[in-house]
Amino acid sequence: MSSLTKQITAATIDFGARSDTGRARENNEDSFKVASELGLFILSDGMGGLDAGEVASKLTVETVCAHCRDAEADPNLPLEGDRAEGASDVSNRLASAIQVANRIVRSAAGAGADTNSAAPNPAPRGMGATVVALQFFDERVSIVHVGDSRGYRLRGTEFVQLTDDHSLVAQQVREGRMTEAEAEASPLKNVLMRALGVDSAVEVEVDEEIALDGDTYLLCSDGLTRELSDAQIAGLLGETQNAQAAADRLIDLANQAGGGDNITAVVIRVGGKPGGTLGRIGRWITGYGN
Amino acid sequence: MPKLTLKFDQAILGEVPVGAKEVSIGRSPDNALVIDNPAVSHYHARVFNEEGRMMLEDFGSMNGTFVNGQRVKMVMLKPGDSVTVGKHTIVVSDSRELDGFAPSGNGAAKAAVSKINETVMLDTKERREFLAKVAAVGESVQVAPTRVMVATLVIRKGKTDRKEYTLQDKLTVVGKSAMATVKLKGWFAPKAAAQINRREDNSYYIGAADKTPSINGTPISHPTKLSSGDVLAVAGIEMEFVLRD
Repeated sequence: MSSLTKQITAATIDFGARSDTGRARENNEDSFKVASELGLFILSDGMGGLDAGEVASKLTVETVCAHCRDAEADPNLPLEGDRAEGASDVSNRLASAIQVANRIVRSAAGAGADTNSAAPNPAPRGMGATVVALQFFDERVSIVHVGDSRGYRLRGTEFVQLTDDHSLVAQQVREGRMTEAEAEASPLKNVLMRALGVDSAVEVEVDEEIALDGDTYLLCSDGLTRELSDAQIAGLLGETQNAQAAADRLIDLANQAGGGDNITAVVIRVGGKPGGTLGRIGRWITGYGN
Repeated sequence: MPKLTLKFDQAILGEVPVGAKEVSIGRSPDNALVIDNPAVSHYHARVFNEEGRMMLEDFGSMNGTFVNGQRVKMVMLKPGDSVTVGKHTIVVSDSRELDGFAPSGNGAAKAAVSKINETVMLDTKERREFLAKVAAVGESVQVAPTRVMVATLVIRKGKTDRKEYTLQDKLTVVGKSAMATVKLKGWFAPKAAAQINRREDNSYYIGAADKTPSINGTPISHPTKLSSGDVLAVAGIEMEFVLRD
């Protein structure tokens, strides 16, 4: 039986997070939120003029968290959007939370307002956001995302990007039409194919992974990955014991490398020693399954 | 003077005026309008002036040239026409018209081309329509339509609870754990030996957990995409990955 009740004991999971404006921008349009009692971690990168990006990312993380907490209190809370086939209840709940966030960001952006009005309607704010969220359950982890905010995992020495960017250039790379280097240099690298706040429903990508003792997970905005290579990030995660120290160091390093955009990193370490040998699974979660 | 604006979705890649001199379009760098994409022929088409009329001619290109969705050989162009070459669009306009934004009034969902380095969202409705159009008439016809395939693991060697497993979940675990689908038997079997992920595009990847699996005899170093017929070995079992209609 899959249950939404899950608790991560403070002793067996270590997490740290930090968000920074960077050195080039005036506002920080990134947001993150942690609901440790649900084993839930959320990161969002907002976009739009004035304060729209900040509002969008904040609305996103708060809405996703609230929907998951509501579902925890009321397991009969309806799911929003289609059920993902072959995915767990936790993943479906998380995807539902992102649909709700999409709707809320979209209405905050002014979509659905009377566009036929002759009055100088306040222009749609062009508000949008990416999201990546990760939730531990049983001995697994669910990762859902929209846009180009990423999830990574360091397992032993293997550093893997768990999410595929929903960007134009990433799609071109996947289709073999462009190399990674060309994508990096492309003037179109900022073009997203999916984002929250754009359409009435959003396509949420859902993935599930085994969570092993010793794994380190990273959620980050593109401000981090534009400045640091995978090898730099993996090296730092592998050698930094404390999750908060790792998040802090990632931000500092990205700022030293230029800090061209807002930078956010959420680091989650599951039991064990970083970079150590793989241990047995399932020791670090208590209280699941009721 | 009319001009041609090269776009990819809504991003503007370049502009060229159409004067007395013809505008050649193609992948080769000596064209007046260069589209660097494998779907575009080296010398794909040209736009030229004939007695004051703006004409478009396709040079018998492999993937064709489309004006407002119709495949064309030679056609007269007028402002507002949309020429599709591969996945790119060339918008014909009069320089009197001010552009820089997509010529649609789709309200809130409209995405503008923003400043460099600002993340841009595409209007997904327009994108879908555009991509659908390209898929219907363009290069995509050369790609086999995606069929729904059933992924199966057939056990060749070793002790498991079944001989065959259909992989329909996002995550399939091979091991002794309660969450494992491919259940290993035996005292020393690992709880989670390996995992198989079904990704959004229905591709399958095998990844290491407590053990490192190998594909066709080679241990993997990172999650690796599976092809039908691959033989996977981990924790003393051997299984074949098969995609069936």
